[in-house]
Amino acid sequence: MAQFRLQGSRVLAVDLAGDAVKARNGSMVAYTGQMTFKKLSGGGDGLRGMVTRRLTGEQMTVMEVQGKGTCFFAAQATEINLVRLNGETLFVEADNLLCTEAGLRTGTTFTGLNGMASGDGLFTTKVEGSGWAAVTSNGPAVILRVSQGMPLRVDPGAYVAHTGNLNRSLKSGAGWTTLMGEGGGEAVQAEFTGEGLVYVQPSEKITFGGDV
Amino acid sequence: MPFHKINGKMVEAPVQPGQRMFSQRGAMLGYRGEVSFTPNLTGGQGGVMSMIGRRVANEDTPLMTVEGRGTVLFGHGGHHVHVVDLVGDTLCVEADRLLAFDGTLQQSTLFMGSQGGVMGIVRGQVTGQGLFTTRLSGHGSVAVMAHGGVFELPITPGQPVHVDPQAYVAHRGEVTNRLSSALGWRDMIGRGSGEAFQLELSGQGTVYVQASEEKL
Repeated sequence: MAQFRLQGSRVLAVDLAGDAVKARNGSMVAYTGQMTFKKLSGGGDGLRGMVTRRLTGEQMTVMEVQGKGTCFFAAQATEINLVRLNGETLFVEADNLLCTEAGLRTGTTFTGLNGMASGDGLFTTKVEGSGWAAVTSNGPAVILRVSQGMPLRVDPGAYVAHTGNLNRSLKSGAGWTTLMGEGGGEAVQAEFTGEGLVYVQPSEKITFGGDV
Repeated sequence: MPFHKINGKMVEAPVQPGQRMFSQRGAMLGYRGEVSFTPNLTGGQGGVMSMIGRRVANEDTPLMTVEGRGTVLFGHGGHHVHVVDLVGDTLCVEADRLLAFDGTLQQSTLFMGSQGGVMGIVRGQVTGQGLFTTRLSGHGSVAVMAHGGVFELPITPGQPVHVDPQAYVAHRGEVTNRLSSALGWRDMIGRGSGEAFQLELSGQGTVYVQASEEKL
């Protein structure tokens, strides 16, 4: 079993004993022991995954790291969050997914118009199964709980990932002032309802919604 | 003169008369007391010959001499600063990653190509590190800059450490480094894993690795 641990807050250390993990291409910074790196054909699982990746543009070039020893991963000095999955599903932008245990399945889902307005694209990456996943965020992420009757609205540019049974919809906070060019810069928000956890980063990606 | 960390990106150093310190030009953020900063034409220690050596080696980051009495704050470009205390051993670091160091340390330029012959020259080209590196030895402190903080990995005989050349910051101790390539047919057809070249460090010592693949 691969052991995931954090070395500081920006470096992920994975102890491998002959097994494999999937990681973003080129994200290895150092390793001890013996490791081999192999680019995976596609990113999603199987041939179907590959075809969907190509079509959706939600492609993350993934490599398989296999060996004995400790491998260190980091991505542009971003903070790393470890997520333990026990059968639930993690939805994350491909840009924010750093590393997953070999037992986890990755796929692509359609988010529809939501994603498009938020600049995340029409598709997002889905990680399912049991095991560890490492998610990067620009600055330390906060984890916000969403429960029944307590919906959460986040800025689409600050959204990183979510787990659990959540519905995501796009809300507009735009009023007549926005139309006059006096908007507060928060015209578009993503609303989450249901039960689950949302990871929010203290930084905003450039989004369409952020301009109005 | 030890460096005192104010936070992850700033260090403070006391300066006393008779004790010089070198720092990257423009890296002073503030100071207390009577401190003078003189641009160092020779780019560090030694005479004109070592200056020419550094010019040729392209390891001549502009340095300034810090002298006087007081305390000085150093920081540069929002990069994380890591302090290495040398006790008679040597530290090899790229000149542009040097923020400041004690004047008591011996500075020299090391020809990397001498380690590993032709492969050493290839390594310099491939990793963008060039053929030369700066070597500091003696007793004293060095403040090194890195993007996203630094972590240390110990190197022991028989257990080499492989580092991504872009994430490599510095190393200390009796360490030889060599470029190891994992080039295969996959890289030739554009299906590489992005980890085709690695620096293999072996011997006895420590390697400093940054949490990013961005060169300074």
